[in-house]
Formats: sequence, structure tokens, C-alpha cells
Amino acid sequence: MKIDGSLTLNGTLERAWQVMLDPGSLSRCIPGCEQLEVVGDHKYRATLKVGVAAVKGTYEAMVELTEIEKPRHYKLVVEGSGGPGFVKSSVSIDLEDRGPRTEVVYSVDAQVGGIVAAVGQRMLSGVAKLLFNEFFKGVNRELESAPPA
Amino acid sequence: MSNTGEKWVGKSVRRFEDLRLITGRGAFINDLTPVANMHHAAVLRSPHAHARIKGIDCREALKLPGVFGVLTGDDVKKMAKPFQVGVSRPPKYYPLAVDKARYFGEPVAVVVAVDRYVAEDALDLIKVDYEPLPAVVDVEKALEPGAPILHDELGDNVAVHRNLVYGDVAAAFAAADLTVKARFSFPKYGSTPMETYGVIAQWDPHAGMMTVWSNFHGPFILHPLVATMLQIPENKLRFIVPGDIGGGFGIKTSIYPYIALIALAAKKLGCAVKWIEDRQEHLSAGSSGTDRISYIEAAVKRDGTILGLKTKIIDNVGGYIRAPEPADLFRTTGNYLGAYTIGAVDIDAWAVHTNKSPTGPNRGYGCQQLYFTLERTVDLIAEKLGMDPSEVRFKNLIRPEQFPYLTPTGGLYDSGDYPEALRKALAMAKYEELRREQEKARAAGKLFGIGMVTAVDPSVSNMGYVTVAIEKAIRQSPSYLPKSGALETATLTMDPLGRVSISTNHCPQGQGHETVVAQIVADELGIRPDEVNVITEFDTATRVWSIASGSYSSRFASVGASAIAGVARQAKEKIMKIAGFLLKVDPERLELRNGMAVCLDDPSKTVSLKRVAGTAHWNPLSLPEDIGPGISATYTFSFPTAKMPDEEDHINSSQTYGFIADVMAVEIDPETGKVKIVKYVSVHDVGNILNPMIVEGQVVGSAMHGIGGALYEEMAYDDDGQYLAGTFADYLCPTAMEAVKMEIGHVISPSPVTALGSKGAGESCSMTAPAVIGNAVADALKPLGALVDQLPLTPDRVWRLINRKGASA
Repeated sequence: MKIDGSLTLNGTLERAWQVMLDPGSLSRCIPGCEQLEVVGDHKYRATLKVGVAAVKGTYEAMVELTEIEKPRHYKLVVEGSGGPGFVKSSVSIDLEDRGPRTEVVYSVDAQVGGIVAAVGQRMLSGVAKLLFNEFFKGVNRELESAPPA
Repeated sequence: MSNTGEKWVGKSVRRFEDLRLITGRGAFINDLTPVANMHHAAVLRSPHAHARIKGIDCREALKLPGVFGVLTGDDVKKMAKPFQVGVSRPPKYYPLAVDKARYFGEPVAVVVAVDRYVAEDALDLIKVDYEPLPAVVDVEKALEPGAPILHDELGDNVAVHRNLVYGDVAAAFAAADLTVKARFSFPKYGSTPMETYGVIAQWDPHAGMMTVWSNFHGPFILHPLVATMLQIPENKLRFIVPGDIGGGFGIKTSIYPYIALIALAAKKLGCAVKWIEDRQEHLSAGSSGTDRISYIEAAVKRDGTILGLKTKIIDNVGGYIRAPEPADLFRTTGNYLGAYTIGAVDIDAWAVHTNKSPTGPNRGYGCQQLYFTLERTVDLIAEKLGMDPSEVRFKNLIRPEQFPYLTPTGGLYDSGDYPEALRKALAMAKYEELRREQEKARAAGKLFGIGMVTAVDPSVSNMGYVTVAIEKAIRQSPSYLPKSGALETATLTMDPLGRVSISTNHCPQGQGHETVVAQIVADELGIRPDEVNVITEFDTATRVWSIASGSYSSRFASVGASAIAGVARQAKEKIMKIAGFLLKVDPERLELRNGMAVCLDDPSKTVSLKRVAGTAHWNPLSLPEDIGPGISATYTFSFPTAKMPDEEDHINSSQTYGFIADVMAVEIDPETGKVKIVKYVSVHDVGNILNPMIVEGQVVGSAMHGIGGALYEEMAYDDDGQYLAGTFADYLCPTAMEAVKMEIGHVISPSPVTALGSKGAGESCSMTAPAVIGNAVADALKPLGALVDQLPLTPDRVWRLINRKGASA
């Protein structure tokens, strides 16, 4: 499954970069994130509770940030599994300076397997888009709630 | 009271089952609580199409209050042997993944708990360490060098390969004026019975007895298979089947791995275990028919005569070839050339392992794949020769004077008048008028198509046909044990008050056997059907049965009815002897009617069956010594023609052969690609009809089944083996809204080989509907030059054909 999109964040490039690499912010922004534990350099163990239609469940996931090119690009790699199935996804994120705002261009390549894919196939890409919107909404919330000093 | 006893066979006697069923009083597997302290199982299944299982951690699950225990592949490996299957290189097939999972939904562990809720919750707490492996779902890719290999010990993905050659194929092609070549793809679909699989297992460690209640419907050849797998003597494995099963259609044959699985859980944990499959489980890992790739080349004369065929058929048997596969390849051996006088054929038959779910019998078993290929090809021949499709068929149909007809592959067609049936179908469809209507529709820019199919409808499988899968060299070795036979047994008793009970081995799933059995017995014994007690609950411990017993291959109306008539005739013989003795007349001069034995020469001389039975039970010593006490009989009907395959692979794979002629008209919406069936005529020859209402139900139901496979249903996978049709939102079953009004006709050629002249009628249009839809849609799209070579013909696929987005969509 491939999803591409772009949107604008309400903060400067520098602030957006900060928020999107900060474990505390990430744990608040990632939809359904119940726990985010640092296990290495830009490497986290996460517990995610996500549902697609009737298939809800908890995933244990490894989250890693790679290809970090401060402050414009990184790749978010998530590999998780749980009762409803498994997810392998990599999200390429590019940030563009737009003065007081920042433009984000993202490109997702995700493989979803297990029950969630067997019963929710028609809804998967819709749900994935929804989850991304949730994530960036969260980033905006972070940017707005903690204005630059 | 009339003097002429009423006859019941041949009438639309209303089904005795229905009052019970429509008032919710059926006794299905999930209604049973046969033992105390039942625990409940839930099955953990692989989310991967192909993965090594590096470890299973059940500690957290076992801590959950209410959990009784867990069964994993390690237990199964220790407790049981792999299932046997009739191929020369069997894979190791267990009911639970051992070391490796090979399809999405394969059982990986079983949790047993106080109730299903706790068991399901515990599944989430089991941690399985999977190492995902590359998967392959396409049979032709699975045969390529470098493809992921499912069973390392086999070295490749070939489950079976046999090349069967009958007649002089080279001469047929040398004599041909032209050849027609095509490749067809048939999809994977099932039956989705309303009731899913259900198993209750109880292990008695003191007696060493495993008792299993389940909605298994045979063939009971799978009973010795499960006993061997469980490593217990066969008389210590007791199968009990409730009297009501909520649909089967062959699919419930393949419950047997789950019977073994729940039995192993009961044995390991020492408690009775119940498991009822849910719909997601059924859709993803129950069973299905096989998807098949077929290559066909026909040698044809310019006048339309088909001289010979070269075919290659590749069945997708999923992760494990399991019994009764590879029967899908070989069930049709005897009728492989359909209704035609084709003289030679080369069958290159393959079954291939892929990372899809394992397969098994599904109504029509092997015939829908065969006839989609053969009948599409007949239409392609007609197109190439510029002939009408009916003309090519009339040219090649077996003629009535040729019966009994021995096919080049060994089938012995018992009776039929195929041209008459096709003529009748064309007349009912008003074929010429329909063609004129088509011309008008085409002139108006509409997509209107007419299709037809003529097909032989086989019933009663020969237990020997599956051995065609075994290479001749092995079959000829002295240690090889050949297989043959097509038989059924029934037992009848007359109680001291003169009423009849009869037990049969068919495990009915809604077909109305109780009614038809009662009709047959009533006629033989001169009583009313409602006076007959038909016992359909089945029990291997108390019933006289054999490996062929059960409900499959449309065998009830053929071998079943013959066993029932036979057992009633045996009982009748004794009744006549006693009555003759009581009336002091020659038993030969008696007949049974209206519950009495009546003297033909002096109708005032009568004795009631109650008095006859009373004498046999209460005062047997008053009878001559050669009569003996009681009235009961057990009778086995066995077809002498169900022989093992010969050295040239000839096999009479079925024992009675009916006939179907379908004519269909469709209209296609060019905007959406939606296919609308505007006419469906189906003419059948099932020999003598035992109950016309029930046959009509079978024809309509089987047509809906075939229409489902042709237009809606598909157990789809992505290229990585991820299953995509886990609910009825994605796996589309036709409902009442999609039902088609059919016009049904009959031609009757009584079978000379069954007791009542009847033949099987249960699979019926499930074999032909996919082919006739394929032909009708192809005819509709003919002006566009599109080739219809695969199913299902979903709107999306038809739209792409219309818009030429890829020749075969």
C-alpha cells in the first residue's frame, strides 16, 4: 500500500523539526500510542492501540528514525505486530521552509497483514490516511501549545 | 380404504424435515451438550502466508484465569502422525503448524478455557516468534525454478504430476483440419454453508476411547485416516454426527483436520472440548474448491467434429495437499470428454503447493473447472468455424443408441438421450427467437449474449479413482494395495407393533433425505411415508458402514436409494413369508398395501403388518424354523462397475452419469460491466425422479452456487499471500436479491444400474453455471473481440474486457 500526501504545519521549520523528532511529542502525536520507550539512538519500542473497523487491538512495535538529514528529511520506520496482524511501514518525510509555516511532503509504503488486512482490506488505505491526518494534527497541537520561547 | 395402495416415489411429497427446521427445533452440533464439563477452544492462526515458527510463548496465556491449557505444534508432533494422503510424495500435514506456517489462517495454537470468551482473550497473550518467508500463490510461479519452496523435504512445490493419455492423440491431431488453443483460469471459491464447522471431543483415558461429535458428512474413508493420525485403533475412535447439519456441499468433508485438532486438545488436557468455527475462520481457512489453470488444444475437422484434445491442468491445492485431494484432478477422469464422442485425449495433470489455504471437495468437485474449459473451447471452435454453438454440439454429442457408452478414459455412461435434452433446452429457451432478439439488441448498441453448455453430470464416486494419482510403476508393485468400490449400506427394523425404522449413512445436510427414504420404504412395504421413522444421526460405533459411506458425489439418489430399496425388499421378503404362513397361502401370491399383506387371488385374505411383526417378535416359535424370529435387515448395495483403474489408467470414476443442457442469455451494462442474467433454461436427465420438488430445489440451489463462483465469489489473495476476503463484505455470496428465475426441464433416461432407475442430482448446475455464464458473456462481448478466459466475471473485470484494458483482464 502506497500513500502520498502533503500538508502545512503551523510552525517554523526549526520548531517542526524539533517536535517531530522529540520522543515526548512523538508519543503524544502517534495515534493510539500508549507507550514509547527509548531503546537506542532514534530507536523506540512502542505500544500502539489501533483499530480498523471492528478489528481493534494492541501492537507491539519498533519505531526507528533513519536517513536523518537535519532539518529537512527523515524516514520513520515502524514494524509492529499484535493480535490483529502485523504492520511494516516506512514513511519518508520531507520538510520545506515556508517562513512561519512548514510544508510537509510524506510518502508511505506500508504492508499490512493478518486479520486486519483480511477483513478490512477495503478500508485500509482510508484508515491509514486518517491515521496520518491524526498524526499531523497532533504535531500542530504540539506546535501551537508550546510556542517558541 | 382403497384397494390400490398409493405409490409415493416420484411425487413431490412435502419434506418431513421442514416443520422442525423452520420452527427452530433442529438439533445441530452447536445445540448439543452431550457431555458434562465441556471446555471451549479458540484457535490462534498464522497472520503470515509463509513463516518459520521460531518459538511460541504461552506463559501469559496460561496465567489468565479460566484458561485450562494450550496445544501447540510441539504437542502435535509428539502425539500424532502426519495425515496420510494418496500421493506418492506426501507432505507432512498436521492439523496445527509444526515449525512452519504455510498459509494465512493456518492454526498455530489452540487455547482451551472455561468459555469461548476467555479462550479468545488468551489468544492475544500468546507470543509467536515468526520469521516471515517469501510466499508464492500462483501455481505457475510456484513451478518456476527459484520459487519459494513450501515443503523443503519435497525439494519443489509439485504435489502430484500424472500424464494420462487415452487413444491416439497424435493421429487425431494429424487428421485435424485445424486446431483451437486456449488458456483458462478458474477461481478459488467455497460454499459458505450457513452452519460453520463444529467439533466436540471427549477422551476416555481408561477405555482409550476418543468420541467426537461433529458436523462431518463423509466420506467415511476419512475416519480410518483420522484414527491412524491420532495413533488409536479405529474401533476406539467414535464419530457421532447429529441428525441436522446446516449445509455442507462437500466443504464439510474437510472438517476432519479440525476433528483431529480438537481431539488432540481433549486428549492432552483431559477434558471435553468444544469448538465452533466462526465465519472469519471459515472463509480464510475452512476449505474451498481448487483454483485451476488449464491449457487446452483441440483437434477439429472442418465439419465441427472434435477428434482429440491435449490438455494441461494445474490445480492449486494450497499449503498442503490433503485427502481426498488430488481427487479434484481425477474425479472427472471417466467423464473428462464430457458429452462428446471425442476419441483421444492427453491429460497432463498437476497439483501444486502454494501459500493459499488447503482445498477439498466443493459441490461439482472438478467438474466446474473441467466444463468451464471444455465448454468455452467448444464455443471457440464454433466461432472459428463460423458455426452455431448448438451445431458443433449436436455434431459431437453421444447418440442415444450408443448407450451404455464406454468413454476413451474408462467411464461407463449408463443411459441418456443428450440430443433430445439439448433440443428441449433450445426449444424452452426459444433459441431462434432469442438470436433474433440478440441481433436487434446488437443493432441498438447493446451487449447481449447467448450461451449454452452440454455436460455429463457424474454421481457416486468409485473409491478407486483417486489411485489414478499414483504412478503406474507404484500401482504395479506387489506391495501396493489397490482400491475400488462404490457401495452403501442401510439397516431396517420392524418393531413389535409393526412400525418401521430405517437408518442410513448419509449424514444429510438439508437435502431432504428423511422424506425420500420414507417415500422409498413406503412404496416397498405398502405403508405411508409418515409411518416410517428415518434415523439420520450417525454413529460409527453402532452403524454398519464402510469407507464409501457419507454424502458426497451426489450419491444419495443413486447408491443410497438403491441400498434403501434393497433393505426394504429384504424385509419385505420376510414379511411375505410370515404373512403367507399366517394366511396359509403362497407368499408369491401376496402383495403389501395399506399396511397389510393381501392375497392377490382372494383379497378377503389379509393380515396386518402389526400382526406379522407381532408374531415375529412375540411368538417366533410358532413360525417354521426357516423363517426365524424378528424382522430386520441390513443390506449393502455395491456397484460391480466400480473397479480399480486398469494398467492404462482407464477408470469408471463415477457409477451413474446424468446430463445437463443449459441455455442462458445475458445483458451487460457497458457503463459498469455488470452482467444481468435475463434467461436461464436448464434441462436435466437424472433418470427416474424420486421427488420432483427436491430435485427442483437442488437444481436452483446448485445454479446459484455456480452463479456465485462465476460472478461474485472469490477467495482472493494478494501476491504476498495475504488473504483479502475475510468477511461477507469482501467475499460476495449471491443472496435472494441476486437469485435468477430459472426454467427447468427434464428428460428421463432411467438408469439401468440402480434399483429405482434414479441418478444423483445434488451437484447439478454447480458444474455448468460457470461455463454457461462464461459462454454467454463471451458471446455478448464477441463484437468487441474480447476473450473470456477467467472467472469471476465481476463488473470490474467485465468493464476492463469491454474497454480492452488487458486482453484477459
